[in-house]
Amino acid sequence: MQIPAEAIVFYALTAITVLSGLVVVTSRKLVHSAFALVFAFSGLAGYYVLLSADFLAAAQVLIYVGGILILILFAVMLTHRIESLDIRSETLQLLPAIAGCGAIVVLMLLAVYRTPWAVKEPQVLTQTAQSIGSLFMTDYLLPFEVASVHLLIALVGAVIIAGKRGGQ
Amino acid sequence: MPDPNWSQALRTVAPELTLTIVALIVLVLDLVAGRGRKGALAAIAVVGTLLALGWSVSLWGERLVAYGGMVVADNYSLFFNIAFLAITVLTILLSTSYLRREEADLSEYYVLLLFCTLGMMLMAKGLDLIVIFLGLEILSISNYVLAGFLRTRLQSNESALKYFLLGSFSSAFFLYGIALIYGTTGSTNLGRIAQALQANRDPGPLFQVGMALLLVGFAFKVASVPFHMWTPDAYEGAPTPITAYMSVGPKAAAFAAFLRVFSQPLAAMQGEWAVVLWVLAALTMTVGNVVAIAQPNIKRMLAYSSIAHAGYLLVPMVASGELGTSSLLFYVLAYAFTTLGAFAVVILLSRKGEAGYEIAGYAGLGYTHPVLALAMTLFMLSLGGIPPTAGFVAKFYIFSAAVKAGYIWLTVIGVLTSAVSLYYYLRIVVLMYMREPAEESSAATLTAGPLVTLAIAAFAVLLMGLFPGSIFTLAQSSVFGL
Repeated sequence: MQIPAEAIVFYALTAITVLSGLVVVTSRKLVHSAFALVFAFSGLAGYYVLLSADFLAAAQVLIYVGGILILILFAVMLTHRIESLDIRSETLQLLPAIAGCGAIVVLMLLAVYRTPWAVKEPQVLTQTAQSIGSLFMTDYLLPFEVASVHLLIALVGAVIIAGKRGGQ
Repeated sequence: MPDPNWSQALRTVAPELTLTIVALIVLVLDLVAGRGRKGALAAIAVVGTLLALGWSVSLWGERLVAYGGMVVADNYSLFFNIAFLAITVLTILLSTSYLRREEADLSEYYVLLLFCTLGMMLMAKGLDLIVIFLGLEILSISNYVLAGFLRTRLQSNESALKYFLLGSFSSAFFLYGIALIYGTTGSTNLGRIAQALQANRDPGPLFQVGMALLLVGFAFKVASVPFHMWTPDAYEGAPTPITAYMSVGPKAAAFAAFLRVFSQPLAAMQGEWAVVLWVLAALTMTVGNVVAIAQPNIKRMLAYSSIAHAGYLLVPMVASGELGTSSLLFYVLAYAFTTLGAFAVVILLSRKGEAGYEIAGYAGLGYTHPVLALAMTLFMLSLGGIPPTAGFVAKFYIFSAAVKAGYIWLTVIGVLTSAVSLYYYLRIVVLMYMREPAEESSAATLTAGPLVTLAIAAFAVLLMGLFPGSIFTLAQSSVFGL
């Protein structure tokens, strides 16, 4: 039986993402979690490449791996003695949690398998960046502009919360 | 292709554009205005809000769809937008003297308030889940910061942190719901989702999961039981004018989008979500009112009261239809004016350092400040739903909508919980008139802003209570074509 190359890549990516995700959650050292997060994010970027969403993959690498992760690592490094901090997380109410999560898993699996998916034929690889760009300037102009206002508010808010209060 | 009809597109979002520009002007002028002169900036904010209100009124009666079906300026959204802008003006009036007293007189407060209103307006106008989500996020982010605006106060920090954590959690639910709905119908546009549902009778269980997640996101935002946990702490710790604003503005905005999303594209699935909303409404009315009884702090009591009122607002959503929608609109307006009025009294009676919120402190107010006590009585009667106030007429409309739609038991629960609520609303009235004033109860500091809000709110509550006809006709003409 011939296994398609795409399937191999998909399962490899899945293994990387899920395993490193597990490390992120279970590791007791913050630095280990942060580094495991690199692989989880990169695995996700791999999915985007697999789905020929090149722009999204690049954005994922630039923003998550390049931006947010570096920020986390800087925060870890600049914080005094955070490395020696032992993060303990206790497990409370194990049985109800397992029951609840199990129910959700069953529900989600049922939903995924029973949904009539709209399957499309694989399309020819095209550059998506250009069409995304022109969509932002036409159909999605309003959400694009609103998102920029949203960023401005976040900026102003961050200054208020973290900044020095004048005169006080 | 750019929108061929760009002047119409600009006209559609003119109120929002005005508000954004004014907010930016206030932000920049802050550099020029010296300390202690932020009052001028508040005045600019009020003028700008009134300008946006004027724009909204001038669009009344039209139905402008713009930006490829992203936003619509119909009577439904304009009704809500006019209410939001009025709420904002009243909130600014409540804020100026309070901020000076608490030494947090920064112009960013007004900037964030205006942006928050912008988010609310976009939620009411959005015809696309993306726009609704962005509006929701703008509203939420500004609100988190406003809740924590008294940075030196621990309670304010706690309020902001709790609100932020649970709020972002609920936003994730909301977004996940949107993603699943997009995945199963192929669009985020409300109109196209409706078409996809009509073409394909059974969209599959994943769509239902998406709908459920969306519902959870909305239920969080309107603070419906069992998604109300963040409300009391967030409301208690926030600066009082913001508590007033949060308990009317964002709640109304969430209902505006809630109703539009669930009655337009998801109308076909009404049988499924109406049951869930029925349970949420019954739970919210009961828990909110029962827990409010035991509160010794007036802000906390009004927080639980606002939870209970979210339950009453869910009743017409369950009933749906034209009567349901118009009664919901009327209720939003009545509740907004009543709550803002009650908070105006609370602010007038509070003291520096966020003190003076104990309900026991209201003893004997009828003798020391007869006018304030009279106004508070009016607002409490209205919240409890006793004639001749707006609250009575509003409850009458929503319950008659529920009865007409055949939800007898929900109406029974609603009426019974209203009776329960009378206990804690009237307790304040009893305290004010039948107890001796406490020794150390200090005099209220009567400042102009809250007094104006008080007068406007009292007038509106009486007007809507005595002559509800014209407002209700207005609400009826705001029902969007289903």
